[in-house]
Amino acid sequence: MAFFEQDIHDAPSTFLSKYVFSFDHKVIAKQFLWYGIAFLGIGGMMALMIRWTLAFPGEPFPIIGDILFPNSGGIVPPDTYAMLFTLHGTIMIFFAITPILIGAFGNFCIPLMIGARDMVFPTLNMLSFWLAVLSAVLLLASLFTPLGGAAGGWTSYPTLSTLIGSAGVGQTLWCLSLFVLGVSSTMGAVNYIATIITLRAPGMGYFDMPLTVWGLWLTAVLNAIFLPVLGAGLLLLTFDRVFGTTFFLAGAAATSGSGDPVLFQHVFWIFGHPEVYILILPAWGIVSDLLSFFSRKPAFGAKATALAMTSITILSTVVYGHHMYSTQMSPLLTQSFMMLTMVISIPSAVFFANWLGTLWKGSIRFQTPMLFSLGVVFVFGLGGLTGLYLATVSTDLYLHDTYFVVGHFHYTMAASVLLGGFAGTYFWFPKMYGRMMNERLGKIHFWISMVGLNGIFMGMMIIGHAGMHRRIYNPFVYEFLQNLIPLNRFITYSALVMGAGQLFFVWNFIYSMYKGPIATQNPWEVGTLDWTIPSPAPHYNFKEIPVVRCGPHELGNPNLVGKDFQYQTEELVKA
Amino acid sequence: MALAEARNNIMQSKEGDKVISSVAMVVALISFGMLFLTLMMSFALYRFTAPVWPPAGMEKPSLLIPSISTFLIILSSLAYFSFEKKTAKGLIDKQGLMMTIILGTSFMVSQAIFWNQLKSHGIFVSSGIFASVMYAFTWIHAAHIVVALALLVWLYKKLSSPDKMTSVMVSSAGKFWHFLGIVWLIMFVTIFVL
Repeated sequence: MAFFEQDIHDAPSTFLSKYVFSFDHKVIAKQFLWYGIAFLGIGGMMALMIRWTLAFPGEPFPIIGDILFPNSGGIVPPDTYAMLFTLHGTIMIFFAITPILIGAFGNFCIPLMIGARDMVFPTLNMLSFWLAVLSAVLLLASLFTPLGGAAGGWTSYPTLSTLIGSAGVGQTLWCLSLFVLGVSSTMGAVNYIATIITLRAPGMGYFDMPLTVWGLWLTAVLNAIFLPVLGAGLLLLTFDRVFGTTFFLAGAAATSGSGDPVLFQHVFWIFGHPEVYILILPAWGIVSDLLSFFSRKPAFGAKATALAMTSITILSTVVYGHHMYSTQMSPLLTQSFMMLTMVISIPSAVFFANWLGTLWKGSIRFQTPMLFSLGVVFVFGLGGLTGLYLATVSTDLYLHDTYFVVGHFHYTMAASVLLGGFAGTYFWFPKMYGRMMNERLGKIHFWISMVGLNGIFMGMMIIGHAGMHRRIYNPFVYEFLQNLIPLNRFITYSALVMGAGQLFFVWNFIYSMYKGPIATQNPWEVGTLDWTIPSPAPHYNFKEIPVVRCGPHELGNPNLVGKDFQYQTEELVKA
Repeated sequence: MALAEARNNIMQSKEGDKVISSVAMVVALISFGMLFLTLMMSFALYRFTAPVWPPAGMEKPSLLIPSISTFLIILSSLAYFSFEKKTAKGLIDKQGLMMTIILGTSFMVSQAIFWNQLKSHGIFVSSGIFASVMYAFTWIHAAHIVVALALLVWLYKKLSSPDKMTSVMVSSAGKFWHFLGIVWLIMFVTIFVL
């Protein structure tokens, strides 16, 4: 419940205060969105270079290869290849998905959906964005250092990431960049948590919040708790590199007094496993809401969905060991981690069944945001199921570090989150810019993306199962992998198709911003608080703070007359 | 007259502001706590996997200076406690806050002396895992102390014109300061004493 009502401030008048150093959560959300989309492009380009190298080893990368790699005649050199997969992972996770799902939708949706005029700490919010920019500058600067950027994988395990494995400033800048980004995200998390606890509109209990807000809230909790763990690891790694401490240097502690490289893996995954839920929870929340909105039915078991997401959040903190089965862990530990990991299937199955229950017998509107949400249901189902083989110790020992892992985590973290992000973008675009995106282009974008990414990630699972390892520059020096060249080419063609498909989105996004049809206040006919105000949302959001009288998914109520949904501000219509 | 006005201002702080800043500060402290907890976890791992501690024939440094640091930081927290109590009653106790700042600064001086002492005994950052722990952990803690001191100095300036946010800020800054004191106590006992 709202502890107080925020004042209405005057609209900012100068360019700087309106678009650059803005305190308005909606402008900061758009800044994060643009930031994320830009990095999505960079990270995607890197992915294409990786794919090209795997499909056509020794052939120059088309068109821009000569400019980027002049010394090798346009061929991606081996050391650059290592940098590419390292930075592809880093950029996509921390600089594309995090800003889009958490930075953009978190900032945009939380105040609008809970009926607040802004975040509770607007200055902290602005600082959080500009720290993220600083962090991006640090990361991109690392590419221009003499030995190039970080090349130890996105996990940056020592000794690959200590001075022994990667000399030069690149890796150090990588550590600092992620540390700064961690500070930025923690600031955001503190803001989100405090906002949701203290600024919910009068009448809005926790279970009256849309599931989108639930997802973002749980994400913020995980961020606040676990980003500092990574921060500590990165600080120690930086000290190892810069000041000569020995935290992660291998050796027997008793004689040489050195540290323990495996410790970094523990620290990294204590953060890293919650991180995958940090990325997916906002997408789950968005999809849970959108499925209900476009099926014109209340979300099936909304409370159970919220509680299932909460229990996954809690469980996600105690399963990290399943990333480390091959580190000579005690079998007692591996079995405990295996069991705990398997337990996550139960709440996952609960909300997945709830998604299907929401769709069941709904009068589904196949508009673009709904298509993308259905896409999430499909790819997340696949990604989740293939996780079981990696949670099981006996199968994981074979599949560890193969492309099966790459396929699995791309299905869950990349495909689901990306589609969820697109669903959110198409859905809230009218509220952001006051115009609609083009439906036809949106649908083309969806089908190309869907076909493309299934081609890519399904293919990856097959080659992984056949034994192809990740992170190898030219796997085909091994005779048993040479038969996989055609399949690798298929994956690369799929990637090229998918990459090209994103041009439809970029065009649609930019064109619709200026020329799209003017959006009405509530184009999707849903009842949450964000749709009770004009499109685009005015800078103060709500002239009067709304009073909430019913839940967020009151659709298809047979007692309603003349329309099939009701706003959260209306009394629930009863027979 | 001015005093009465200041007192009025302080006592008027809104219940809502208090709730919001304590929620935010508690979340922030959980974050900071996780950072130090991770460090302590690493330390525990090094400590328990080493057959002898300190490893590689190193000796533990003298407890004198770390004990002085501990004493100073406890005193500074006590000074802040009394300052907080008076603020809650609507009194402006500038000296109490100044005392905290002075004691906090002396803590930093004692840390600098400690680092110097280690160096003069030939223990450098790169002299193995125990030295790494001693240097890096105290550095990270000291960096937080510097930030907290800057916060206290800023608060000191704010005290000249108290408003309804003052008591909220005093209690938030206090939470952070006491937290850093507790972290130091844990580090002192686990790294230097045990």
